[in-house]
Amino acid sequence: MLRCGPGRVVVTDGEAVGQVRVGGSRAGEVSSEAFDLRQEHEASERERRLARRRRLVEQLQGEGLLFVFVVVFVLMWVSSPYFFTKNNLLTAASVVSVLGIMAVVETLVVIGGEIDISVGSVMAATSVLIGLMVTSGWNVWLATVVGLLFAAGVGAVNGVITVYFKINSLVTTLGTYSIFLGLAYALSNTTTVSIGGEGFSVLGSGSVGSVPVPVFFFIGVWIVGAVLARHTAVGRHVYATGDNYDAAVRSGVQADLLRVGLFVAMGLASGLAGVIVTSELGSAAPQIGDPYLLSVVTAVILGGASLRGGRGTMVGTLVAVAILGVLQNGFALLQFSTYLEDTVLGTLLILAVLTDRLVRRAER
Amino acid sequence: MSGDTASAGPVLEARNVSRTFGSVIALSDVNLEVRPGEVVGLVGDNGAGKSTLLKILCGALQPSSGQLLVRGEPVTFHSPKDSRGRGIEVVYQDLALATELSIVENIFLGRERRRAGILGRAGFLDRAAMARDAKESLDSLAIEISDVEARCGLLSGGQRQAVAVARAVRWGSRVLLLDEPTAALAVMEADKIGGLVNEVASQGVGVVLVSHNMPQVHQLCHRILVLLRGRIVADLRRDEIKVEDIVMWITGAALASR
Ligand SMILES: Nc1ncnc2c1ncn2[C@@H]1O[C@H](COP(=O)(O)OP(=O)(O)OP(=O)(O)O)[C@@H](O)[C@H]1O
Ligand SMILES: [Mg+2]
Repeated sequence: MLRCGPGRVVVTDGEAVGQVRVGGSRAGEVSSEAFDLRQEHEASERERRLARRRRLVEQLQGEGLLFVFVVVFVLMWVSSPYFFTKNNLLTAASVVSVLGIMAVVETLVVIGGEIDISVGSVMAATSVLIGLMVTSGWNVWLATVVGLLFAAGVGAVNGVITVYFKINSLVTTLGTYSIFLGLAYALSNTTTVSIGGEGFSVLGSGSVGSVPVPVFFFIGVWIVGAVLARHTAVGRHVYATGDNYDAAVRSGVQADLLRVGLFVAMGLASGLAGVIVTSELGSAAPQIGDPYLLSVVTAVILGGASLRGGRGTMVGTLVAVAILGVLQNGFALLQFSTYLEDTVLGTLLILAVLTDRLVRRAER
Repeated sequence: MSGDTASAGPVLEARNVSRTFGSVIALSDVNLEVRPGEVVGLVGDNGAGKSTLLKILCGALQPSSGQLLVRGEPVTFHSPKDSRGRGIEVVYQDLALATELSIVENIFLGRERRRAGILGRAGFLDRAAMARDAKESLDSLAIEISDVEARCGLLSGGQRQAVAVARAVRWGSRVLLLDEPTAALAVMEADKIGGLVNEVASQGVGVVLVSHNMPQVHQLCHRILVLLRGRIVADLRRDEIKVEDIVMWITGAALASR
C-alpha cells in the first residue's frame, strides 16, 4: 500500500497528485504545471475543432437527405410520364402511409434505444385474427378493436421481455416476429379470408376529397409523434433514456416504464397498419406484413435516427418515408422486379447506418 | 464559518454504514456527518469506497447495513428520487448528462416545467421559462455559457462539469454531494468549481466533496475524512493539518508510522 514515501508526494499541483493515484508513479513522472497548461490549451482547441466538424456532419445528414429525396423524385419524374400525376402521387402517398405510421412510432422506439422488428408479423397476425373473428360471425368493428388490443398486447410482451428480463430488443422482437408470423400463416391455412362489412373498407380505400384515408392516419400519427417528441416531457425522456439510460434513471425518469410504453405504441401502430391494409384489400391475409420487416427500420435509420439511441427526428423520418414512397412507386411504374426493390432497400439501410457511423465518429 | 455551523445539528448523517458487493467489502462501519454550511472532504485511494459512500448517501445504492438520517430523522432512500425529495443533490463521477439533450433539458431532466393551463396538463413543456431559469442558474454561478439551448455533446469537458454542478446546485437545497467535480478540469476551471462550492456552502448547504486534488480539498473543506479500503481512518480538521498529512493518511503511511 505504501506506494510513495511522504517526502515525494509534496507537490502543490493538483494534477500531480492525480498522477499518484494512477498507480505507482515515480517523482520523475510528475508533470510540471506549464506542461499541463499546454495540454489543456490543446485539448480545448481540439474540442472546438470537433464541435465544428460535428455541426458540419449533422448538416450534411439533414440536408443530404432532402437532396436525395429531390434527386429520386426528379429521376422518377423524368423516367415515367405517369409519375407526376395527381392520381399517381395520391396513390403513392396512400401506399406509403402504412409504412409511415409504423416508421413514426419506430422512430420513437429507436430514439429510446430499442428496436422492434416484429412489426410486419404483428400486422399479419392482426389481419388474420380479424379475418377469423369476422368469419365466425363477429361484427367487423368489434373484431377491429380486438385486433388492435391484440397488437398492443404483443407490444407489451415485447416490452416486458426486453425491459424487465433485460433481453436485447433485436432478439426479443426477432422471436416474436417468428412466433406471430408462424401463427398467422398456420391459423389462416395460408388462405385469404375476404372481409366485407359496410364502412370498413373506408379505412383503407376511402378518401376525403381526393385524399386517401390512410394518408390522414399517417399525418395524424406523425403530428402526434412530432409534438410528443419535441414538446412534451415524455418526449424528452425518450431521448434521454436512449442517450444515457443511467443519467435518465438518476434524474428520475421512469425509463423502464417508458420503454414498455414505446413497445406497446409500436404494437398498436403495427395493428393499425394491419387494419388499414386489410381494409384496403378487403381481405385478411398472412403475407401483408412481409414488405415491412425491412422498410420500416430502413426508413427510420435513413431518417437519421441512431441505432444507439438518443438521436432522431420526425422530420427526418418523414423525408425518409417520402423517399421510400417514391422509390416504391417508381419501381411499380417502371415495372422493375420487386425483388430488386429489396436490394435497393438493403443498400439504403447500409448507407444510412454508415452515415450514422460517420456522425458518431466525428464526435470523438 | 465552522464556528456557527458546529452549533447546528447535522443535516445529513450516516451511521455505521457498510456495503458489500459479493465478497468485496466496499464500505465497513462508516460514520459521517455534514452540517449546514459545512464542506466535508472525502478522500482516499482508488477503490477506497468514496463513490460507493456517495451513492449510498443519495440513494443510488442501498447500504448492506447502517442508517441514514436527514436532520436527525432516520430515512431510507430507495432511489435518488427519494433523496432529491429531501433536498439532496449529487454530481456523479461520470457526470450523468444526456449528451443529445440541451443544457436546459439536462438541468430540468425529470423535473421539466410545464405550461400553464390545459396544454401543460397535456404535458406540454414551458421551454421559455426553463431556458430563463437555466440561464439564471448558470449566471448566478458565473458560469459562462452563451447558449443554454446548445447540445451538451457540443460542450467541452469543463463546461459539462460546470453544467452538472449547476444542475445540482439548482436543485440541491440542503446537501450537495460532489464526486470528483474537478477531475477533468483545467486549473482555472477547477478553481471556479471551488468557488462554487464556497458560494453554495455560504448559503447554508452542506457539501460532501470527493476529490483527488489535495490542495483543493485542503483549501475548500472544513473537515476531511480519509477512507482506506472501506474504513474511515481519519477525521481531520483543516486548521490542524497540512496538505502532506492528508496524503500520508490516504496511503496508510500515517497508520503505519504509529
Ligand atoms: N457495482 C459494483 N459491483 C461490484 N463491486 C463494486 C461496485 N461498485 C464498486 N465496487 C467495488 O467497491 C470498491 C469501492 O469502489 P468505489 O467506486 O467506491 O471507489 P472510489 O473510492 O470511488 O475509487 P475512485 O477514486 O477510483 O473513484 C472497489 O473495490 C470497487 O471495485
Ligand atoms: Mg469514485
